[in-house]
Amino acid sequence: MPVKIGIFLCDCGGSLRNIDFPKIRGNLAKLEDIAFVEISHNLCLEEGEKAIASRILREKVNGVVIAACSPELCEDKFIRLLEGLGLNPNLLSLANIREQCSWAHEGDVTEKALELIRMAVNKARLLQAVERGEVPVNKEVLVVGGGFSGMKSALELSQFGIRTTIMERESTLGGKLKELEGFYGLETSPKEMFSSMTRAIEEDKNIEVLTSAEVARVQGEAGDFTVKIRKGGKESSRSFGAIIFATGYRTEILPQDFELKPGVNIISQQKLVEMLQAPERLERRPETIAFVVDFSDENSRLPTLSTLNNALAVKEKLGSEVYVFCKNLKVDSEGAEKLYREARERGVVFLKFEEKPRIHGEDSRVKVEARDVLLGEEVTLLCDLLVAEEKALPPEGTKTLSSMLNLETDTQGFYQDENVHLYPVASGRKGMFFVGACRGNLDLSRALTDISSALVSVYELLSPGGAMVEVEKVKADSQKCRTCLTCIRICPHKAIRLARVDSEKWVAKIYDLACDGCGICTAICPAKAIKFEGYSDEQILAQVEAIGE
Amino acid sequence: MIMGGNNKIIAFCCAESAYRAADRAGRLRIHYPDNVRVIRVPCAGRVSVLHILKAFEKGAAGVLVMGCQEGACRHLTGNIRAKERVKYAEDLLKEVGINGQRVKMVNFGPDMAQRFAREIEEMVEKIKEE
Repeated sequence: MPVKIGIFLCDCGGSLRNIDFPKIRGNLAKLEDIAFVEISHNLCLEEGEKAIASRILREKVNGVVIAACSPELCEDKFIRLLEGLGLNPNLLSLANIREQCSWAHEGDVTEKALELIRMAVNKARLLQAVERGEVPVNKEVLVVGGGFSGMKSALELSQFGIRTTIMERESTLGGKLKELEGFYGLETSPKEMFSSMTRAIEEDKNIEVLTSAEVARVQGEAGDFTVKIRKGGKESSRSFGAIIFATGYRTEILPQDFELKPGVNIISQQKLVEMLQAPERLERRPETIAFVVDFSDENSRLPTLSTLNNALAVKEKLGSEVYVFCKNLKVDSEGAEKLYREARERGVVFLKFEEKPRIHGEDSRVKVEARDVLLGEEVTLLCDLLVAEEKALPPEGTKTLSSMLNLETDTQGFYQDENVHLYPVASGRKGMFFVGACRGNLDLSRALTDISSALVSVYELLSPGGAMVEVEKVKADSQKCRTCLTCIRICPHKAIRLARVDSEKWVAKIYDLACDGCGICTAICPAKAIKFEGYSDEQILAQVEAIGE
Repeated sequence: MIMGGNNKIIAFCCAESAYRAADRAGRLRIHYPDNVRVIRVPCAGRVSVLHILKAFEKGAAGVLVMGCQEGACRHLTGNIRAKERVKYAEDLLKEVGINGQRVKMVNFGPDMAQRFAREIEEMVEKIKEE
C-alpha cells in the first residue's frame, strides 16, 4: 500500500509567532507522499480533535504527522484519538515545535521547525502498525517473607480477591514483630498485632502459608513466573503472576566498632526485649541502663526507633534510670519526635556526643566515658546494663536472591531503592516488587505506604486476568538470530529467553509483557536481528537524514 | 573544520530525562543555539555506534548522546552502555581525523534545563573554535 501521510500543524492558539506556518505548509506540500497539510490553532481542544478526526476519515491516510507541543504532553491524547478512529496509533509521528523550537530560541525559527517536521515525516514513512493484544496472566501472587510487611501485603491482596501464598524461611510467621516491645503511634502492641494478623491469615481462604520454605529458582516473566520452592529438602514448582519481596531486615550489634564483646552486661535490643517481656525472671533489677545509638552508622532510623521504644518500656516496666548516648538522633519517622519528647518527659536522659564513647567492663558493671558537646565536659557513667549499638542490614540471602533474579541492590546491600524511575516499590523486572524494610531502613508507616503502592501495581497487572501489550513491538527475526545469547545476557528486565520457533532452531524470543521498551537489545544485537518498531535503525537514521536535505 | 557544509548538532535524548530537560528549557525560555536537532529515544542505550557515525556522514558537526544520571537509569544499565558506545565512536572518529570532542555523552536529570542549554552552547563553541 502506498504511503499517504497527513500533516497537522498546531500554532498553539496563534502564540508561536516566530514560526511562519503558511511558509511551512507550502514547503511541506511539495514533499512526496503528503496527502494534506492542515494548520490548526488548538489541536488539543475538542474542536482540534474533531478537525483531525474528520480529515483523517475523509482522506484515508496511513501515516499521521502532528507538529505541536512536546510529546510528553500530547502523545497519549493523540494516541487515544487515533485508536478511536480505528487507525493504528503506532502510525503517529510527532514533531515538537513548541518547547524545543519556538520557545527555546529567539528570532525566526521557521527553518528549524520545518526541519523538525521533515524529520517526523521521514520517520512516518517507515512506521508500521503494531497490534495490541491481550496476554493471559496468572492471578496468584507469591509473597516472599512472612514478617509484618509480608503478612499485611497478603491480607490486603486477599481483600481484592487475589490469591496469595506467603513463603517464610523460618518455621513460623511474624519475623521482627515477635522481637519488638512496642510501636509508637499505634494502639496495639506488636504482640497483639501479630496474633490478630495470624488469626486473620488462618481464616482467610485466599491465603496459603508455606513455612520453612525458600525460593530455589524463578523462571518466566511477569504474569507467569514459575517458582521452584525448596521445602524440607524437597523441591516443587508453582506458578505465580507476580512476586512481592518483603524479606525485611536483620540487625547486627556492632562490637567491632567499639571493641566490645557482648556479654552479661552488654546486650542487644532483642535480649533486652526478652528481659522486658518476663521481668519477673530477672535475678536483680538493673538500676541503670544505657543505650548507644547511631555512632557507627548514620543510617539508623530503625535502631533509633527501637531504642526510643525500649527506653520507654524500661521506664515503665523496670523503673530504672535510662541514659541514651547518641550523636544525631534520627526522628524522621512518623511519631518519632513525639516519642522522643515523651521519653524525655518520663526521665530518659539523652546525651549528645561527637565522638564514640569509650566503653569498658568494670566488675559487674559497664563504664561509659565520653565528652558531652553540650556540657563541654567529660562524662563518666557506670551502668548495670549497656544496650549496644545496632545496625539494620539486609537479611541473609538477599545477595544470592538478587543476583539469581537480576535485581539491583544499593550500596548497603538492600534491594535498590534509589532509582527515581522505579521508586518506590518497582524493580527492574516487571511483576516483581519490594515492600518494607527489605529496600532500606523503613519504619512501619513507610512500609504501609509501600504495601499500598505494591497493591495498586499488582492489581493493575493481574486483576483483569489479562494484560494489554503491544504485540511484537520489539521482535527478534528468527531467520537472522544466530543464538549468540548477547541480548539474553544484557536485557535489564530479563524479558528475553530462548524459544524454539517453528523449526529445530532455538532463537531469542522477547516477551511483550516483561519488555519495558528500552531498545538496548536492538542496539547491541551483532546480527541486527532485533527490530524495535518506532525506534528501528532505519527510523532513527531517517530522522538523521532530514538534517542534510 | 566544519563538515558537510552545515553546523548542525544531533542530540539523541533519552525520553526519561534529557528530552524532558530540553522541554523544560523551552518552558523556562532558556535560549540556546537553534542548530540542535533532538531525536527522542526511549533510552540512551538504544543509540548505537552506527547512529553516531551516520550523523557525521549526513553532515552533522557534532553529536550529543544524552541519558540519565548514572545509577538512575530506568533500564538500569542503558546509560552506561551508551557511554561505552560513545567512547568507541570517539576513537573511530579520531582515526579518521575528526576531533573526538565532536561526540559527547552527557548525563542528566529531567529537571536540568540549564545544563541542557549549556551543553548545546559548549558544543557550538567547540565547533566554532576549529
